[in-house]
Amino acid sequence: MKRELLAAVFLLGTLSVAAAAEDAELRPFERGSWQQILRSHAGRPTLVHFWGVTCGPCKVELPQLGKFMKDHPGIDIVTISADLVPNLPEATQSMLQKAGLASAENWMFSDGFADRLRFEIDPAWQGDIPRTMLVARDGAVTTVEGSAEMSELDKWAQGQAGTTGSR
Amino acid sequence: MRDLRSILGAAAMATVFSLWHCGAFAQMNHQHASEAACEETVLRCASKVTPAFGPDGTLWLAWMAGGQISVASSKDEGKTFSSPVRVTREDLNLDWGPDARPKIAIDGKGRMALAFSIFRDKAFNGQVLTTQSTDGGKSFAPLRPITADNESQRFEAIAFEPDGTVFAAWLDKRNRVPARQNGKPYDGAGLFFATSKDGGSTYSDAQLVADNTCECCRLGLALDGSGRPVVVFRNIFEGGVRDHAVVTFTDAASPGEIHRVSRDDWQIAACPHHGPSLSISPNGTYHVAWYTNGKARKGLFYARSSDGGKTFSDPLPIGEPGRSPSRPQVIAGPSGLVMVWKEFDGEKTEVKLMTSQDDGATWSTPRAIASTADNSDHPLLVSDSRRVYLSWMTKADGYRFQPIEGEP
Repeated sequence: MKRELLAAVFLLGTLSVAAAAEDAELRPFERGSWQQILRSHAGRPTLVHFWGVTCGPCKVELPQLGKFMKDHPGIDIVTISADLVPNLPEATQSMLQKAGLASAENWMFSDGFADRLRFEIDPAWQGDIPRTMLVARDGAVTTVEGSAEMSELDKWAQGQAGTTGSR
Repeated sequence: MRDLRSILGAAAMATVFSLWHCGAFAQMNHQHASEAACEETVLRCASKVTPAFGPDGTLWLAWMAGGQISVASSKDEGKTFSSPVRVTREDLNLDWGPDARPKIAIDGKGRMALAFSIFRDKAFNGQVLTTQSTDGGKSFAPLRPITADNESQRFEAIAFEPDGTVFAAWLDKRNRVPARQNGKPYDGAGLFFATSKDGGSTYSDAQLVADNTCECCRLGLALDGSGRPVVVFRNIFEGGVRDHAVVTFTDAASPGEIHRVSRDDWQIAACPHHGPSLSISPNGTYHVAWYTNGKARKGLFYARSSDGGKTFSDPLPIGEPGRSPSRPQVIAGPSGLVMVWKEFDGEKTEVKLMTSQDDGATWSTPRAIASTADNSDHPLLVSDSRRVYLSWMTKADGYRFQPIEGEP
């Protein structure tokens, strides 16, 4: 009985993860989250994309990033919804899902003091979105302001594939 | 056994799902995540507060708090306020964007016009709503859309002209529809305007000033000495360059030529959420302050025009570059020019002040006049016939209204 129950719970766990994977999990982006992201992806080429549900150019770019993620499984994809709070988790999830980014590492600004969150990321950033930060294997950061050219991102990704790393 | 397993299974499934869906969001909905100090409709809970003086020297505030727009007045320079009057009666999805706020304008007879934006649908299409008060702010008329058109509108600005006409300008995406039908792209939004001859109850048909302006920045609006509207806006110039432009109306219904304020060369397909500020001296000099992150210059800048906006002085950098200077406001007050902006040092936000006694040719050394350690609204300047005041809503320290003392 015990073994069967454990198996059932395990199975359910797996099922719910699979079901929930269709929904984009959103992590609350707070003070310290930026350093946490940099630490957890250290040594791996990572694309960090800042966007927001009310931003017109973001709506165009998000599906392109979804395709980029599919085309470049070796690149870690992190999205951060940086629209000013109150933010809408449902709208954010729905847009990520439609863009094919549900399985990316998705965050959402969840501190009312957005100035401080932005300052931790880049003191010069005044909040314009979209914005993409390309973090290379060696930690070098390239910031793309505004909508990124996918061809440029592809080029960067290919460059990263050429470098050696722990992966 | 099978029953037990299915009950446990259903329970586990429900728990896992509810945790998955609610865990992170519950944290996000915590007070900490809010821009405002509290969720009620009172001033203390406001995220955006807009001031205006009435002709009798009464200070009026319109604010956004608890999902509603409210208005109250003060006869003692902001020390005490009248009981708030609600402008909105139902729950609307108010535009909470960084550059959105309720607008309030008062004419020489004390008539009040109000305008603000809401998100009309789940795709975040905006709508500009207007109302008026003809009984000295005791009550407000039912809300009306500023235009019958249903394409997205945001970032309205309103002002009373000397003859009592309300001038309104806003950003409107209606012209992307015909463009799309012709298979053509349409960048940004159109700058539109309308006027109201009945104090802001009904507005004339919307007219276009310019297509393809930046869709996500507030407008700067002021009237020149003859009462003609002047609008400063972030335009989209050739090649997707989002630099500032100015238009002076020849009369309330005729926009004049569009001139460029500065060649910052900020080529970006993004929403800067950071619009300009405009004020006009009694002698007709235009004063503009703005943010850019262009190739030619980055940060906050000020420039002036003494030929009605045709040409502008070289941009003067404002603030300490390492302290993220933002949200500049400039006003031509009774005793000279006053400019404020925010600076942030990683922990606290300061409002910095500088003044000019020679119409913007030279400025005083900047100094801090207020600070706060949590979220805050843009610092705004408002003037009565005697002096200029700082109006600043802060989450941690509440609403502040303080006179700007004269500079040596």
